[in-house]
Amino acid sequence: MPNIVSAGENSILIYFGDKIDASLPKNIANFANQLKNEMGGVVINLIPSYTSLHVSYDLNVIDYQDFVNQVEQCLKQNQNTASALESKTIRIPVYYGLEVGLDLERLLQEKNLDLDAFINVHSSKEYLVYAIGFSPVFAFLGEVDERIQLPRLNTPRIKIPAGSVGIAESQTAIYPSDSSGGWNIVGRTPIDLSLNNLENIDKFNVGNQVKFDPISRDEYLSSGGKL
Amino acid sequence: MSFKVVKSGFLTTVQDYGRLSHGKHGMSQSGVMDEHAYCWGNHLLNNHFNDATVEITFGGVELETQIDTFIAVTGADLNFKINNRPVQMWHGIRVFKGDVLSWGNPKKGIRAYLAVKGGFNTSVLFDSRSVNLRENIGNKLCDGDQLPCVGHDEEVYQFIPPKYIPNYSQDITLRLLPSYQFNEFSINQRDLFFNQTYTITNANDRTGCRLSGAPIVIKKERMISEGISYGSVEIATDGLPIILLKDAPSIGGYPKIGTVFSLDLAKLAQRQPNSKLRFELISIRDAQKERKKFNDFFEIGF
Repeated sequence: MPNIVSAGENSILIYFGDKIDASLPKNIANFANQLKNEMGGVVINLIPSYTSLHVSYDLNVIDYQDFVNQVEQCLKQNQNTASALESKTIRIPVYYGLEVGLDLERLLQEKNLDLDAFINVHSSKEYLVYAIGFSPVFAFLGEVDERIQLPRLNTPRIKIPAGSVGIAESQTAIYPSDSSGGWNIVGRTPIDLSLNNLENIDKFNVGNQVKFDPISRDEYLSSGGKL
Repeated sequence: MSFKVVKSGFLTTVQDYGRLSHGKHGMSQSGVMDEHAYCWGNHLLNNHFNDATVEITFGGVELETQIDTFIAVTGADLNFKINNRPVQMWHGIRVFKGDVLSWGNPKKGIRAYLAVKGGFNTSVLFDSRSVNLRENIGNKLCDGDQLPCVGHDEEVYQFIPPKYIPNYSQDITLRLLPSYQFNEFSINQRDLFFNQTYTITNANDRTGCRLSGAPIVIKKERMISEGISYGSVEIATDGLPIILLKDAPSIGGYPKIGTVFSLDLAKLAQRQPNSKLRFELISIRDAQKERKKFNDFFEIGF
């Protein structure tokens, strides 16, 4: 049975496990949907992440103990209906080129790989969305193959261009808009993931799968990619 | 039908009650930093609790009224004047087309709120008018901007009983709900936290407030990232607390000793760097009771 702790005057955290585990995100996303359906009147906000679900509720209408009791009831039902969430794969075209992959050359050297081998390792896998955070539309994807894992940069870059694809340890992610950050940049997608397109808000959800499709420099440029 | 921004000041943004239900999209709660002053501003004008206001940080602002309406200014004393004459705060005031509203330097507090009858009608993004600069949602005010609103002639001359006007110069004690990893901190670590006086540093903005003091030695420096509540108190790698505020990221990976009661965060929002503060415990029952009373009074409902 998941463990529940207080997270403040109107919120709780539900822990579904204590280690990062590929089976958890779908289960957590599934339970978040269930809570919204069954307790939509009192649930205000839901933040799924790796092993936990943060839930805020309306303290005007329900107190802490009653809320926890009702969540526990839902958790009992959830154990019978786990993994009802259908899986969805989002495909992201990526140009893995040295002009846009700011850390690619160093990574290839350190890992003793040629570019094609690297592209093959990074793009052949379907990644799982473990969490959304840091900024809107920023999806933490895992697990990256050990052959291409690298720690974060010691000094984060002030500006990483929107669309950049990065690696940090066992995780990979796409920067949806220009921002600072310390991930190793290995490529860039030409598609706009920023909130300039309001529909991007729902682009990734915890429990989704993401697949990177390698594209050529020409395809990148003709899809609107910038160098 | 608007207010024209003549001088935009240091940091002036439109804020409402916040963007409460987009945590799953990785969005901050956003919204006003001082809920107490903000709620009084709207209340004095018989507004809805979620009507958008202008949050003025440190002053330096001049607006020209292009409409006849009612306003209320609450929060920090930033030398508020109309047409160069000092005007009472925490009071419904009639303003006329051509009036110049100005805020100078902070005398007491940091953030003033300008509420207008009916609220400012800037664009709604993801269910809120709150600007979040960290997330590139909206912009801070610039010289020449227009702040749209609708004219009103309902007479709202209400004011607040002086005893409810806070003194922003007093040192504060923040009431903390034991939550998150509270039980994983040892008795000694907790004693050090509750028995010392912390100082607010210059690293104090809408995202968070970093404190200085005697560091707590911690074993677990990082943990698996999890959802962040408004007011969560992270103990960073250096052993010092960071209180996470309205524009904080939705998830974070430092251990948290608890969560500050929201109405005390309103007081924190008006404290200058170098102010002193302490922490004490509050039970969830007492916190919920006090917050519910506040919500009932200001008709805050979802």
